[in-house]
Amino acid sequence: MLQNYQTSTFYDEMMENAKKARPHYEKFHQILHQMTKEELHEKHETAQLSFLRQGITFTVYHEEGGTERTMPFDLVPIIIPDDQWKDIEAGIKQRVKALNYFLEDVYNGQKILKDNIIPREFVEQNQYYYEEQAAGIVMPHKNHIFLAGIDLIRDDNGVYRVLEDNLRNPSGLSYVFQNRFVMRKVFPEFFFEHAIKTLEHQMLHLHSALLSHIPANAKEQDNPTAVLLTPGMYNSAYYDHVFLAQQMGIELVEGQDLLVKGDVVYMKTMRGLQRVDIIYRRIDDDFIDPKEFREDSALGVAGLMKAVRKENVALVNGVGNGVADDKAIYAFVPDMIRYYLGEEPLLPNVDTYFLSDPEVRKDVLSRLPELVVKNVGASGGYDMLIGPQATEEEIELFKQKIEETPEQYIAQPTIQLSRAPAFQKERFYPCHVDLRVYAIGSDHVHVMPGGLSRVALKEGSLVVNSSQGGGGKDTWVLKESDQYA
Amino acid sequence: MLSRVASSLFWMARNIERAESNARVLESRLINALEISDYGIVADQEWEAVLEICASADDYKAKHKEYEPKLVSYYLSFDRDNINSIINCLENARANARAVRDNIPEELWEVLNEHYISFQSEQFSNWSTKQVHTFLQEVKLLSLALQGIIESSMLREEAYYFIKVGKWLERAEKTARILNVTCEKTLEAEEETHTDHYYYWLSALQFANGYSAYLKRYPPTMQPRHVLSFLISHEQFPRSIEYCIEHVKEVVMKLEDGQVSHYSEDLFSALDNVTNEFMKIKFKEMSTKEMGPFLDRFQNDCNRISSVFANTYYFA
Repeated sequence: MLQNYQTSTFYDEMMENAKKARPHYEKFHQILHQMTKEELHEKHETAQLSFLRQGITFTVYHEEGGTERTMPFDLVPIIIPDDQWKDIEAGIKQRVKALNYFLEDVYNGQKILKDNIIPREFVEQNQYYYEEQAAGIVMPHKNHIFLAGIDLIRDDNGVYRVLEDNLRNPSGLSYVFQNRFVMRKVFPEFFFEHAIKTLEHQMLHLHSALLSHIPANAKEQDNPTAVLLTPGMYNSAYYDHVFLAQQMGIELVEGQDLLVKGDVVYMKTMRGLQRVDIIYRRIDDDFIDPKEFREDSALGVAGLMKAVRKENVALVNGVGNGVADDKAIYAFVPDMIRYYLGEEPLLPNVDTYFLSDPEVRKDVLSRLPELVVKNVGASGGYDMLIGPQATEEEIELFKQKIEETPEQYIAQPTIQLSRAPAFQKERFYPCHVDLRVYAIGSDHVHVMPGGLSRVALKEGSLVVNSSQGGGGKDTWVLKESDQYA
Repeated sequence: MLSRVASSLFWMARNIERAESNARVLESRLINALEISDYGIVADQEWEAVLEICASADDYKAKHKEYEPKLVSYYLSFDRDNINSIINCLENARANARAVRDNIPEELWEVLNEHYISFQSEQFSNWSTKQVHTFLQEVKLLSLALQGIIESSMLREEAYYFIKVGKWLERAEKTARILNVTCEKTLEAEEETHTDHYYYWLSALQFANGYSAYLKRYPPTMQPRHVLSFLISHEQFPRSIEYCIEHVKEVVMKLEDGQVSHYSEDLFSALDNVTNEFMKIKFKEMSTKEMGPFLDRFQNDCNRISSVFANTYYFA
């Protein structure tokens, strides 16, 4: 089945070499061999169609407006053995804990800046640092991070490294569940011989974690009303919002459905106004409250921030979280872990060079063709240079950009993301993958088993973002009993 | 339930119902046009009537000079500029459903979405009449499938009731419109061409999917009085105005636990108002001339219920 499959120098998730699968992929490899290409192709089509039919889509924006697209699905799962997963889980917990301490600190007291662990300017010049709006807000459990998506990659040695922290509105959780759902339906034979960690109870965790964020002045301390605030159906992650609201059994509301009266938040129902206690918002800070952020925002709720400050309503993820997941602050997360937890980081970062330092900048500019350059404020794979794949013009353009606003960019060595086989157009070929792991915060941090494996389906491409043609894979964490069967 | 959700459910149902009834009206007309080879002013009048029932004849005339069956079919089925074209109704219904996906059965969304996807890639402008017929048939079946899903899987609670009210009000308004247009055309025909009005009343019954049901009750002579009272107040006929309004009333009673309170007062009185009008048609013989103003008023009263209903539940 995988004849002519090239493993090359990249770390391959599944194959040790062209012929031999890694121990934890052996069973899967055997099952694949028992199937014909036609069979696989047909099933692949069924899976793809099932996403389209269900309208599990995201919206891609272009000049003529938006188009709904499905995220391409790939049938080869990413399998993670239990012992490896335990390391990831511990590393994510540690990291999210430290990031949360940082957020609480940076908006209350700023000890970490006073102790010179992080240079003050990195915080103060950060475009997502909202001192005025977020300082002093009391978060239930002092928790700013209700849902985090931490992006991991594996280098040429197979070592997991953190590529990015997403602490604002990480999307894609619905795909984790839908990938599994579709996989079970279309490829039941894959599951017969594997014992994998189920996702069944994860929504329960999410729901009870959300409901535990009860604000001090909620009327119903035992039975709070929680809602999910979405920008609406034109948002690219709208399906994610629908799915989460539905699974948690909470109302999916838009800004126009909420109103603030006497610093209390209400939703407009057919029976009149109903008080809201907890808001899981999927609207960016900039748009959340036209009274305190962008005045022209039609998506938000006027007066919301004041209600939050008065502890009449809880808003998660916290406002101002962007200060902790920016690409410059990223470089300091290992220091945060040491500072707040007194521990050594379990998951290493990718080396990061700051371009505001003239020495470093000179060095980086001379090595651009081998580096990755990122805008510290951008996400989704935008405004990014991948040196080894860039044209001369692109490199020239980034040189200019860096010279103009060096503090806006960081550089990293090009990590050769690990690869895994993907089956598209009736053949297997290696594609680069990464893994977004989801952590749920409340009075403790819970990590969902597995996560969303994103795959760059364009051959050779390193960009896994769905907005740029990336696809998804089901991710299996093996149970202890199924270790290297 | 959020008022926005109530509104989307209400409009989803109306859009589905509108797509179905417009498909049926156009289909009946296309079939009749084959059988009766009328031409000139008579044919024009009939196409005009169909346009009045399903959209607006003025709007059509602003775009096209002639009542060409192919043009009218396209305009009513696929024209994006016609807000009531079937394709627009279905797309609106899908958008409504998408906005309330967490409140409706998964299957309801999937069936609507599937049809939406299949229409996305079509080039309707060069479709043959046969293809249009197949499309109209498909739209009717789609509506029936959606109603089936609603009936067989939804909890009998607010979301369900708002969907039903949307459907009934859309039906009541459509039936009122069919009658109003038919009456007008009969008058014109009497004055200008002295043709028999038989044909118009027959069409009215077909448009409202009531022809065979009518024949079970009345002789096939198409007395205007019979057709009128059948379509307005035959309480066993599910597209009669009385049937629809009675059911709306029942739901409102359920939503309000049988109590009239200050905020629902207007709604109850608007409903009563229409009911009182039924009585007049039941017991009073009217000439075609008298019928015009009566039906105008009646159609307005039906429309009014819709807006009072929206006001009562905060989604106007």
